[in-house]
Amino acid sequence: MASMHKFPKQQPHGAATTADDFSIRLFEVMKRINEGIEDLELYEFRYALDNLIPEAGWDAVTLEGQEEIEQRIRSRDFYTGIQLRPRAGGRIVLDESIVCLNRILFAGLASGAYPEKWIQALFYFDLRGFYFVPRTVYFTEEVRTHFGNKPYRCFEAKQKRFERYQELGYKDFKEANAEIDQAFIDCVKEVIRARGSPMLITLAGPTAAGKTEITERLMAAIQEMGRKVTTIEVDHFLLDREYRDDKPMGRESSHFDLFLGSLKAILKGEKISIPRYDFVNATSSHDINSKLKAGCTPLEIEPADIIFMEGNFPFHMPEISSLIGLIVVYLTDDPIRLKRKWKRDIDYRKKYDPAYFRNRFFRTQFLRGEDIYRPLMKGCDIVVDTTGATLWVTPELVDILNLD
Amino acid sequence: MANMILHDPNVFSETLFKKMKRINPGILDLELYEFCYCLVDLLPVKGWASVVLDSRNEIEKRFNTREYYDGIQIKPKQGERVVLDAPIILLAQMLFVGLVTGEYPPEWIDRHFYFDIRGFYFLHRTEYFTAGVRAHLGGRPYKNFEQKQKRFERLQAVGYKDFMKANAEVDELFTESMKKIIAFRGTPILLAIAGPTAAGKTEIVERLRTAFKQAGQKVTSIELDNFLTDRDEREAKGIHSEGRPALHFELFKQSLEDITHGKKVSIPYYNSVNGTSSHNLDGSLKPDGVPIEIEPADIIFMEGNFPFLERDVLHLIGVKVVYLTDDPIRLKRKWKRDIDYRKKYDPSYFRNRFFKDQFIMAQIAYLPQMETCDMTVDTTGAALWTTPEIADILREVK
Repeated sequence: MASMHKFPKQQPHGAATTADDFSIRLFEVMKRINEGIEDLELYEFRYALDNLIPEAGWDAVTLEGQEEIEQRIRSRDFYTGIQLRPRAGGRIVLDESIVCLNRILFAGLASGAYPEKWIQALFYFDLRGFYFVPRTVYFTEEVRTHFGNKPYRCFEAKQKRFERYQELGYKDFKEANAEIDQAFIDCVKEVIRARGSPMLITLAGPTAAGKTEITERLMAAIQEMGRKVTTIEVDHFLLDREYRDDKPMGRESSHFDLFLGSLKAILKGEKISIPRYDFVNATSSHDINSKLKAGCTPLEIEPADIIFMEGNFPFHMPEISSLIGLIVVYLTDDPIRLKRKWKRDIDYRKKYDPAYFRNRFFRTQFLRGEDIYRPLMKGCDIVVDTTGATLWVTPELVDILNLD
Repeated sequence: MANMILHDPNVFSETLFKKMKRINPGILDLELYEFCYCLVDLLPVKGWASVVLDSRNEIEKRFNTREYYDGIQIKPKQGERVVLDAPIILLAQMLFVGLVTGEYPPEWIDRHFYFDIRGFYFLHRTEYFTAGVRAHLGGRPYKNFEQKQKRFERLQAVGYKDFMKANAEVDELFTESMKKIIAFRGTPILLAIAGPTAAGKTEIVERLRTAFKQAGQKVTSIELDNFLTDRDEREAKGIHSEGRPALHFELFKQSLEDITHGKKVSIPYYNSVNGTSSHNLDGSLKPDGVPIEIEPADIIFMEGNFPFLERDVLHLIGVKVVYLTDDPIRLKRKWKRDIDYRKKYDPSYFRNRFFKDQFIMAQIAYLPQMETCDMTVDTTGAALWTTPEIADILREVK
């Protein structure tokens, strides 16, 4: 007989009452923090909350000052200290500092010590993950200034309704972004018409922002204009893993000169031959001196009008950015990306352990925002903010667009 | 043509994507992208053309034999990770290929299997209303309603609120029927509600409790699990069931007798974390053991998955109910509860186990209980089934 590991609910002493009272109070407050909680029964809420009950009970949680919390979630050290795979009893669990932060926020909310507005300004609560995650700031003063302090186009923010969803599919996401995506595509077409080809385009954006989908649509739209489109996957320029020493993609970890040379050549309308990176064995077809290894074949890329560069190269490096005709950041807010990524990588691909996934998402958004996206945003040509439904275009590009 | 489809993974995916919309309309809500993300995991190493199809007869036979399910591993590993068990993958591959080539008609697949979108795999439909069960329950439902769970078929997840709403009519009739039977049979009375995992037992018991309390009756419960003996003892003896050998059975029987006679009882406490009982094997209280005291009550719920599997206590139970929900809906509910909310299981382990357990549990627990129950609530079929005897009571009591 298959065994049933059920916990008898009945216990000698009626000890569970405090936890029950706490959960009833918290349930009511949380409905205002994330409206999606209204779709839950108290049962369901408790199933999820059970994992976070402190051993010594909710009364044992010591609250911290609001400023202290604000400081912590703005410090890099807090995020780098988060472990991705902490284990308890053979299983990966949520990192202790994430658990701790969540307990403090829950306790402070239930007791009324923390204003709900303050929590909402700094954190979002993901229902499936059942945890608070700090909101990453993408539009800093510098970024806004770079774009002349106002968006080029604004639409109705239709992703609003996803806030209460537990999960989010591709179709709903695409529908919500229809207007902003179309405006973006039209904008790129205008730039191509005005600046001519060949042109290099890069489209960067955080994980699960929707890059693959928009790139595909953009390519189709450009082909409809009668232009030939091709793609260069930047990762093919990586050196063998053993030469990279975990360095991020950049000058020292890639066939950098070959990369620059290839870009220049394809911009002259030439066919290029580039390294081929074997993602399974983590080796390049080219040696450390960027010479083809014996027995390896390079990748051939035919000339094209519009060349998409895919990958996470630091495109803002001056030698490179001067070659790129259009640098785009395609952005979707963290709460939405978390739902999309959960659906894609856990529901569909079954790629990650959910606890590992939660730790990693919590840890990396802040760090990536600081290391990659904010630097890129203050130097790029276009930012598509799908959640805000706003299109940001640099003043120079606006001039080009307004020529017609 | 068929050959070309099998040799080109992209063409295969597109064709399958179209055909799967007929098998599970929920696929209509997916983009081809999303479908392909899932399908990648099931792509045979040597390509779709390498999949050898078994005959429909063979398949039907296999899925109605216990050995097949016994052979399913719940934690097969590839490296560090638990993966879907090979026979489960093979089934999905065969059905995909058979569907694409036309070898297996969609109606045939649909009759024997259901496709879960999140799990992205096929499972055999467990049969609960066998000839034996139907005969015991008078051949047809006492009453049935509109099947509102139909619309859950295309959902990837089902929440508690939607589920409760969909069952409102049959749940209400069930509650009223319980009241009538209790009125007829008198109190104290012991009620036992059995049902497969995630069928909705906890919720319906909660609603019944509230209804009885509102009617001024005193309600309590006895959990079968609290009668388990020390885990070490059971493991030493190789007892893996929760049947009689696993329990302080004499204490159990005596407790049921006493409480149905209006007496206060003192029952063992089983600590499932340490796997220890408050009582020794001979039924005496351990020196440090603390029993659970249960005050007399009018209505006593017996909780557990198999409350009336043990024939020696059948006569003590006033009303025996099986609360049933079909496998596809339970899978979605359980996924939401145990993976989304509780984060209790690895999804692959969960998929293997659900695939394996439903047939086995039906054979050893639910079908036998359905054949001895007074009532079966089929929430998916939106039907209340009763024995002819109970049907008479329901007609008699106003």
